[in-house]
Amino acid sequence: MSDARAAEDLLRGLAPQVVGALVRRYGHLDSSEEAVQEALAAAVTQWPRDGLPEDPRAWLITVASRRLTDQLRSDEARRRREEADALRRPADEHVAPAAGDEPPAEDDTLQVLLLCCHPALSPPSRVALTLRAVGGLTTAEIAAAYLVPEATLAQRISRAKQRIDAAGRSFGPPPAPERGERLRSALQVLYLIFNEGYTASSGLNLQRRELTAEAMRLTREVHRLLPEDGEVAGLLALMLLTDARRAARTARDGSIVPLADQDRSLWDAAAIAEGTALVTRALRHAAIGPYQLQAAIAAVHAEAPRAEATDWPQILALYGLLERVAPGPMVSLNRTVAYAMVHGPEAGLARLAQLEDDERLARHHRFAAVRAHLLERAGDHGAARAAYKLAGRRATSFPERRYLEGRAARLDPRTAR
Amino acid sequence: MKYMLLIYDNPDTREKMFSGDAGEQLLADVDAVIAELTASGELLGSEALADPSNTRTVKVADGVPMVTDGPFIESKEHMGGYLLVECDSLERATEIAARWPSAPFAPLEVRPVMDAGGEDM
Repeated sequence: MSDARAAEDLLRGLAPQVVGALVRRYGHLDSSEEAVQEALAAAVTQWPRDGLPEDPRAWLITVASRRLTDQLRSDEARRRREEADALRRPADEHVAPAAGDEPPAEDDTLQVLLLCCHPALSPPSRVALTLRAVGGLTTAEIAAAYLVPEATLAQRISRAKQRIDAAGRSFGPPPAPERGERLRSALQVLYLIFNEGYTASSGLNLQRRELTAEAMRLTREVHRLLPEDGEVAGLLALMLLTDARRAARTARDGSIVPLADQDRSLWDAAAIAEGTALVTRALRHAAIGPYQLQAAIAAVHAEAPRAEATDWPQILALYGLLERVAPGPMVSLNRTVAYAMVHGPEAGLARLAQLEDDERLARHHRFAAVRAHLLERAGDHGAARAAYKLAGRRATSFPERRYLEGRAARLDPRTAR
Repeated sequence: MKYMLLIYDNPDTREKMFSGDAGEQLLADVDAVIAELTASGELLGSEALADPSNTRTVKVADGVPMVTDGPFIESKEHMGGYLLVECDSLERATEIAARWPSAPFAPLEVRPVMDAGGEDM
């Protein structure tokens, strides 16, 4: 790892701790976070020139505090000029440290994450704010990764911060009944970030793919802070087991290689071992949850040396549990795939027909794709081809559309080999 | 998810938009919706197109560009502009389209934008 890369990793890890320290002392997530970004930018230019400070975290807190107090003072001065009856409040009141001892720095990472996943924010705002305040990414980097204009993203972030400040800054652990829900929201945000990077096609957008690594780094950090939480462990396991297949999931032409056709020698064995161990331990010791179940399903796939050796009855049972814990149309659809693998394509098609009542699911390209696959396995190539074509037209991503059109072409009697 | 909202126009809406108090109101309403979508962080871009009489159509035949003045398809309704938005759902994109000030006079189309990534199959 290069020095520059090491310094960047160090800064990224420290960013939420510094944000946490400032918010605790001064309040104002909005201006605290701005000040930390300025301190990070200062570190990027000064550290390589002057050498690493003895205590990088303290250095960042000092520099960010100075920026923030300058800002607060100039705001204050302006207010004084503007208001005839000058407020009889010394500017120093803002900088008085909070009473009591400072909690350990690392807890701040978690508190800032939970603050960024405040229920008052929309999911895209939670994602953007988390990447900036917890991940330490710049607005420009996040905008490039999400392919949105920088001005739009800056607007999203500043509005999110103002909303949190307006909702009444409650830095520190959220009240107990809220905490669980807030942590679930944080895990959802981390999973969204992971998926955004994971589904990006190879070579197309490097910054976007780096989101996967960033999500895994942050999830690992949360797992280190909350080692006994089964869902945190489950999410980290799910990420490891999913990312382990990265090299095998895309063909040279950029189209998607389905799980059944992947070259399993390309799977990352170390990541699979780590993910499997994590989820096995979580399932044994913690309350069961959807991330653990999804990780367990990924682990069953991972342990099969060949696609034909997959333990489908076990996967079907796990989907049954998942459907009970976290019901949803996509879970039902995936369960139907597993059901067809155990009971045959005809039985699967009958089950699929029952899902058709859900109009949104029935219109989704994955519904048509599953139908096509089952029809193909049942030997009805004409209907399968039509279903693949329908799925291809409905898909809204290039790799998926290419894959589905390719399957349709393979069943075309005129082009079949 | 990103959606393109294609704003359709016809000679009547054009006239309304550029004449009298009603037109001024319409443009003010447009500004208000744009400001709101900018504040919410949903707006990625938006442009209005000049009158279709300014259109030039280009087609390449046997490697030679064939250029003609006027629109490719003669029709009463034509593209008047677009909004590119990013929002949580198709329902939300539909809601934005329904609020667009010209929607009472000419339709909008809501279309998902293709993504470069893809989920596992």
